[in-house]
Amino acid sequence: MTALTIVVGILALVSAIGVVSLRSTIYCALSLVGNMIMLATLFLLLNAQFLAAVQVIIYAGAVMVLFVFIIALLSPGSEDRPALDMRLMVGIVAVVYVTLQIMFLVGNGKTYDTTAVACTSATQQDCSKTPLRGGRNGSAVNPGALSFYPDDVNRTGNVQVVGGQLFTTFLLPFEITSLLLIVAAIGAVYLTRHHYSGSRRT
Amino acid sequence: MSLDVFPWLIGLSTALFMIGATGVLVRRNPLVVFMSIELMLNAVNLAFVTFGRFLNSMDGQIFAFMVIVVAASEVVVGLALITTVFRTGRELDIDDLSEMRE
Repeated sequence: MTALTIVVGILALVSAIGVVSLRSTIYCALSLVGNMIMLATLFLLLNAQFLAAVQVIIYAGAVMVLFVFIIALLSPGSEDRPALDMRLMVGIVAVVYVTLQIMFLVGNGKTYDTTAVACTSATQQDCSKTPLRGGRNGSAVNPGALSFYPDDVNRTGNVQVVGGQLFTTFLLPFEITSLLLIVAAIGAVYLTRHHYSGSRRT
Repeated sequence: MSLDVFPWLIGLSTALFMIGATGVLVRRNPLVVFMSIELMLNAVNLAFVTFGRFLNSMDGQIFAFMVIVVAASEVVVGLALITTVFRTGRELDIDDLSEMRE
C-alpha cells in the first residue's frame, strides 16, 4: 500500500465526515467536491483513467455546480440540529451495526473469490496462460469475461476498452441510459415550470 | 497497486457508504440529504471499480459509469423537486414535508 493511497483514503474519509457534519450547506458542498476529487484519484490508482475524468467532469463539475446554484437560489440558513434525540441514536446504532457486519464480511473473505483475485499479483504472467479458476469448487470461469489485465488494457488504451465494451456488450443498457437522461430532462422542465392560473401571459 | 490494498479499499467504500447513510438519517436539510445520497453512490462506484480491478474485469468500470449517469439524472429531478417545494419561502426542513401522510 503506497503512501498516496493512505493519504487519499484518509482525505476521502475526512471530507465525507465533513459533508454530514458541517453546519453550513455551502461548506457541505465544498466538502463533497473534495471527496469526489479524492475518489477520482483513487480511480486513477485503480487503473480507471476514463472514469476518473468522468468523475471530475460530471460530478465535481456539472452536478456540484447545480448544487451550488440551488444553494444560492434557496439560500438556506444554518441548520439548528436538536440534541441527541431518539432518532439520532437509533440511526447511529443501526449504521454502526451494518458497518461492522460488512467489515466482518470483507475481512472474512466471503465477498470475493480469492482464487481469482490471486492472479492479479506478481504471478500475472502465469495466470494469463492458465485459465482462471473461480468458484468454490475450482471450476473454470469464463476466461473471456475476466481477461482484462491492467497492462493489456493500458496498451490498448483505457478509453478504447471502455468504449468497446460500452458499444458491444453493454449496448442495450447504454441506450436505456440515454432514454433515462431524456426522461430526467423532461421531468425537470415539467417540475419547475410556472403555474399560471388562467392567464396566458409569459 | 498490490493485492493487500483490496480489503482496505472495500472497507473505505463501506465507511463512505455508511457515513452517507448517517447523513440521510440524521440531517434535516434536503440539500444535505441529497449530498449524502451522492456520497453513497460514490462509495458504491469505488466498490465497483475496486472489484473490477482485482478481478481483471472491465464490467466494474462500465457499471460505475452507469451509476454516474443515473446519479446525474437523479440530482436533476431531485433538485427540481426541492426548488418546486421550497420556492414559496418555506423553511428548508424535510420534517415539514408531511402533506402526503395526511
